[in-house]
Amino acid sequence: MSNVSDRDVPDSDVLCPACAAPIHVGDAFCEACGSTLDAARSSGDATVETPTLGASGTTAQPAAQPGAQELGGRTHLLAPSAARVEVCHVCGAPIADDGFCSQCGQRARTRREHWTETPAAWVGGVCDKGIVHARNEDAMALDAAGDDFAVLVVCDGVTTAPDSDRASLAASKAACAQLMAVARPTGSFAARLTAWQAALGAACATANAEAVAVARSLGDPREPPSCTFVAAVVDHDLVAAAWCGDSRAYWIADDPAGSVELSLDHSLGTEMLAAGFTREQAEADPTFHTITRWLGADSIDPTPEFRTMAVDAPGWVLVVSDGMWNYASPADDLRRLIEEAAADGATGPTQIAESLAAFANGCGGHDNITVALARRDPQLP
Amino acid sequence: MAEFRAEVFQNEYLSDGATDVHAVVSITCTGAGSAGERSGDVSEVIIIDTSGSMDMPSSKIAAARRAAKVALDEIVDGAWFAVLSGHTIAQMVYPEHPGLAKMSAVTRAEAKEAAGKVRSGGATAIGAWIAAATALFEQAPAGQRHAILLTDGKIEGEEPGALDAALAAATGKFQCDCRGIGSDWVVDELRTISTALLGTVDIVAKAEDLEADFEQMMKTAMSRGVADARLRLWAPQGSTVQFVRQVAPQVDDVTPRAVQVSPLVVEFPTGAWSDESRDYHVAVRVPVAPVGNERLAARVELVVDDQVLAKALVKAIWTGDANLTTRIDPAVAHYTGQAQLADVIQRGLAAKTAGDDRTATVLLGEAAKLAHQSGNEDTTRLLNKVVDVVDVEAGTVRLKREVERSDEMALDTRSTKTTRIKREP
Repeated sequence: MSNVSDRDVPDSDVLCPACAAPIHVGDAFCEACGSTLDAARSSGDATVETPTLGASGTTAQPAAQPGAQELGGRTHLLAPSAARVEVCHVCGAPIADDGFCSQCGQRARTRREHWTETPAAWVGGVCDKGIVHARNEDAMALDAAGDDFAVLVVCDGVTTAPDSDRASLAASKAACAQLMAVARPTGSFAARLTAWQAALGAACATANAEAVAVARSLGDPREPPSCTFVAAVVDHDLVAAAWCGDSRAYWIADDPAGSVELSLDHSLGTEMLAAGFTREQAEADPTFHTITRWLGADSIDPTPEFRTMAVDAPGWVLVVSDGMWNYASPADDLRRLIEEAAADGATGPTQIAESLAAFANGCGGHDNITVALARRDPQLP
Repeated sequence: MAEFRAEVFQNEYLSDGATDVHAVVSITCTGAGSAGERSGDVSEVIIIDTSGSMDMPSSKIAAARRAAKVALDEIVDGAWFAVLSGHTIAQMVYPEHPGLAKMSAVTRAEAKEAAGKVRSGGATAIGAWIAAATALFEQAPAGQRHAILLTDGKIEGEEPGALDAALAAATGKFQCDCRGIGSDWVVDELRTISTALLGTVDIVAKAEDLEADFEQMMKTAMSRGVADARLRLWAPQGSTVQFVRQVAPQVDDVTPRAVQVSPLVVEFPTGAWSDESRDYHVAVRVPVAPVGNERLAARVELVVDDQVLAKALVKAIWTGDANLTTRIDPAVAHYTGQAQLADVIQRGLAAKTAGDDRTATVLLGEAAKLAHQSGNEDTTRLLNKVVDVVDVEAGTVRLKREVERSDEMALDTRSTKTTRIKREP
């Protein structure tokens, strides 16, 4: 199928001013070197930003019409570009020309430190630096086609390895693009499940190759950049997840009894749980977060695990990094946060994701935070 | 066109919960050109003390006449100028009637002739002289306005509040460099004037040195091609500007001169600029932010004619890394020491004058130590004329028994002169 007609066409005439690597119109920063790209900055959008060629790459067009846009049958929720005023994420005052808030002095976040993607009205997410970490090593890539197909990919760069922010971004984007290009399988649920697991396995391999390529481009450092991987494919009534590391996929059903933790961390924490510790005991242990699988040049086992489920009730596909689930690990805690966000007036997945990230920051924001959501409601026509 | 450059020296890292940000902002002007070239008209007033004491000895009044003449030689053609003689009142020397003359070959010759004829007699009423100069500058066209004031004595023959009232009226109207000749004048009086009127103060102990000093002073004034610049300071909502102190080439706490221009912005007058560098120590107490945040603690701008010509950003980054937060920036440390040095010298000399030798010995000992540590050789030389250093590392000194009054005054007036920090290559 690969309905990618409205994706930006790579434009080989456009090169990164920092490293001369080819970039795409609409990119917020260079995939090769991570430099912020002014063109995207100047034409980007305050509330819908993307570092990818994702569907919201249309924000790069200065003439983008304000409000909701119908593009190839998809709804893009865009704030009015023309009236864009960059405001401080702390106090809401305008950002001055020097890049700092005019009132409280807070440094404005770069696109790499905080961005949202809303490829469809029912799919959205936020990737945020958090508070304590100096850089945002998380990355996400979201895309959607029509009202029943979406791909959510989250990669969490390993902080102890320099340049993991580049590995995570390259890995997530490559995997997302590859999954979007897969022809949607037909046939029995089992046949589709099998096809998607194969596709997810291939996408994870591609993501790993991207992370390894970043290490190569850096001259194979002793501590090569590396990252986790989690991807969820929403294909009508099927949700297929694959993961490598401790970034997670959940099915958060509206019905409190119906939620499912799709992924199971590849971490010492999981091993401890398997060994009989309670979740509270295990999560309190400092080695809980030590991951046992990851992507990158020094990965011992970059293969993913899979979990597929059939969706027959309303709810959310939620993909998060540990900067989120550190503060809300049980599916029911996450369900309540989503419920509260909606009750507080958050409309749509991106706003709800922002609300969850704000909650994590309110808890201290000790790590980078990524939250991606896709709404499923089989009862709707 | 003059160009300004602003550089920041600071350790921007703050530990969790810390709020105090210190930075040295170095502002450098190049291409200033010369006075009157582009910056409107130039007005100069030379005020010569002609009180009775200037004749005792008569070498003083003779030196003053010669000094006035060389200063007149330095004033550029086309500038507006006047020469005042100050005694119980201020009297026009040139032009004859109250007002300013336009400098030309003719007026220069006439003014020099008139200056060569000033006679001494009467009291020292500096407040009246400042008031007279203010009245002259009020008639001057817009542009750079500068005066030189020479005296040999302390204020007598006018009401105690006269100087303060005159300074209040003069502030912002013109800049004034002050010189004391001999050792019978009062350092604090002239320092009050030079500080309020953004000028310099110095002692000319020997009458024969006066000519060269006036020539240099007027040359400097004529090299100031930027008539009027302001230092603009933005500090974030909820913060307190603790102080803004000029720390090079001399210490001058400019905090009280802050003019609020908007809720978060204050401006400080800095007067005219030549090709020069001035360093400012800025201290701001900011609201605390969580670890991981980066905020501005100050935006420091150099503003001429409401145009921002240079801008520096003072930052605050909260971190849990003690290796980053414990380091004190060398420029901040150096200038904090230099400001302390000026302070202990002035307090030490005041104690000495008051007869409190014990306090004077402690404070001047501290001064000897600070001057030595910071490599301020000029101050060390001046201190050595007032104290015998026993142990410079420990700051132990003995007050000299016989001290020339002029040496003490030189130490006092020059206590604010700082050495620049040696920059890393």
